[in-house]
Amino acid sequence: MHDFVALEGRGVIAAFLASTQFVVAAEAQAKALGYREVPSVFVPHPIQDRTDDELRALADAALEEVLAAVTRR
Amino acid sequence: MPTEERETVTWPADGLVAVVKQDCPTCRLVEPVLAGLPGLTVFTQDDPAFPAGVADRRDDTDLDASLALDIETVPTLVRFAGGVEQGRIVGWSRAQWAEFTGVADLGEGLPEYRPGCGSRTQDPDVAEEILVRTRGGSLRARRLEIAALEDEAEALFDRGFTDGLPVVAPTPARVLRMLEGTSRKPDEVVAVVPPNLAEATVEKVAINAVLAGCRPEYLPVVLAAVEAACTDEFNAHGLLATTWGAGPAIVVNGPIRGEIGMNWAGNALGQGNRANSTIGRALQLVIRNVGGGRPQEVDRAALGHPGKVGFCFAEDEEGSPFEPLAQSRGVPAGRSAVTVFAAEGPRGLADQISRAPESLARSLAQGLRSVCHWKLPGGFDASLVLSPEHGRTFREAGWDRARLHRELDELLLLDRAEITRGAGGIDEGVPARASDRPVPKFRPGGYMIMYAGGGAGMFSAVIGGWAGGPGGSAPVTREVDPWR
Repeated sequence: MHDFVALEGRGVIAAFLASTQFVVAAEAQAKALGYREVPSVFVPHPIQDRTDDELRALADAALEEVLAAVTRR
Repeated sequence: MPTEERETVTWPADGLVAVVKQDCPTCRLVEPVLAGLPGLTVFTQDDPAFPAGVADRRDDTDLDASLALDIETVPTLVRFAGGVEQGRIVGWSRAQWAEFTGVADLGEGLPEYRPGCGSRTQDPDVAEEILVRTRGGSLRARRLEIAALEDEAEALFDRGFTDGLPVVAPTPARVLRMLEGTSRKPDEVVAVVPPNLAEATVEKVAINAVLAGCRPEYLPVVLAAVEAACTDEFNAHGLLATTWGAGPAIVVNGPIRGEIGMNWAGNALGQGNRANSTIGRALQLVIRNVGGGRPQEVDRAALGHPGKVGFCFAEDEEGSPFEPLAQSRGVPAGRSAVTVFAAEGPRGLADQISRAPESLARSLAQGLRSVCHWKLPGGFDASLVLSPEHGRTFREAGWDRARLHRELDELLLLDRAEITRGAGGIDEGVPARASDRPVPKFRPGGYMIMYAGGGAGMFSAVIGGWAGGPGGSAPVTREVDPWR
């Protein structure tokens, strides 16, 4: 979330991307940094034990949402 | 506390000023003497109608004059000339009073000598109020009012200031007393605290030290620990946010260990010592209350461990076969320092048979190897706390810390066949590679060796860390003395 804020601060369009387990953490950190809402995409948990193919599939599935998050303002 | 505009207290520029209280037998004894002294101004600390017969009698029940005159004993008699104090006497001594006032036949019929009483400004019940009145203006933190019917401990739980255990209410008086533990100014910034990157002033650290139960003399250690933890190398932010369960631990070296009564002997890593218990807790409360790092919010630990309430201990430098840890990390001998490091809970490591250092080192290496996962090399840091009975073996063999590191490094070269994914029927492990070169368990400098504990028990402890080095957390050492 700090990365998101840093990128936005430099005029780089960004979105927050994490797995669903991190929704609460993202909200808490965004709120603490003064953001009511951050364009965010949450992919299904878990991540750590995914094979490369599974990760690619997650990324493909999230692509539309990610594009929407960085283009919707 | 509201900043009150108080009138500046004054007294005549020339003449005698006395400070008394009715509650003091010596003051009552000299009542007729005071009534007979011409041009005397008397400030009364308790009963405005005392002493009788004095023309210029002034109410000092708010103690402003007593504080301005720096009164420690009553009665005190002060002589002024041109607004400047010429001298003072305390208590009652006929000869002294006669000489001081120039009145020869003073206090006829009174005993020759009576000691004075403590000034009301010294009373414990008013000392706190006076502290806040005289120095409360230096505090900047937002004041919270707790309603009269609210339970103090419950109110602090309800407001989210605690780690789940009760805290000491950080009243202005307690915070001011805590601040007496350092010469640093309350508004000085100690560090920027993650995850919210909030500035921790000396005052804010002091408030959390009060909450944690610290004594003022612990404050320099807490300040140094906050400074150390909030560095890029230590990466408290990552350590907090990781799903791994480690938290910050503090090991203290140097003279301050003894000065503040820390424990490095029996149960060194456990409960029961106030300094050990509260210093570690204060650091964690700073991260919680200043940085905003709370469990199940940005603290994403899947499990955590009980030491995340606070984990601090001291090294046994006197008994150690090695030089103090802080010295091995560049702090000059004789100086106090903290080293913060990522820590899980300690895991006991028994070897009650080995008498040869080579054999004992193998046992210790086995324990270190279990950190994170027996099959995973290179990622996680760790610490080894060597107990006295294990330390003895290395002392007798003449092994210093560097030698033990060298031997352990050698023993912690992992056989690739054992750690490849699938080996031992365990899918976890490193990807298969053509190379059969052994792989070091730890990154260079990835584990520390400390010495502490009780004299009986051939048990050391391994403390697992977290991902070491850039992107993870590296131990950080900072000197304590600059924070005194």
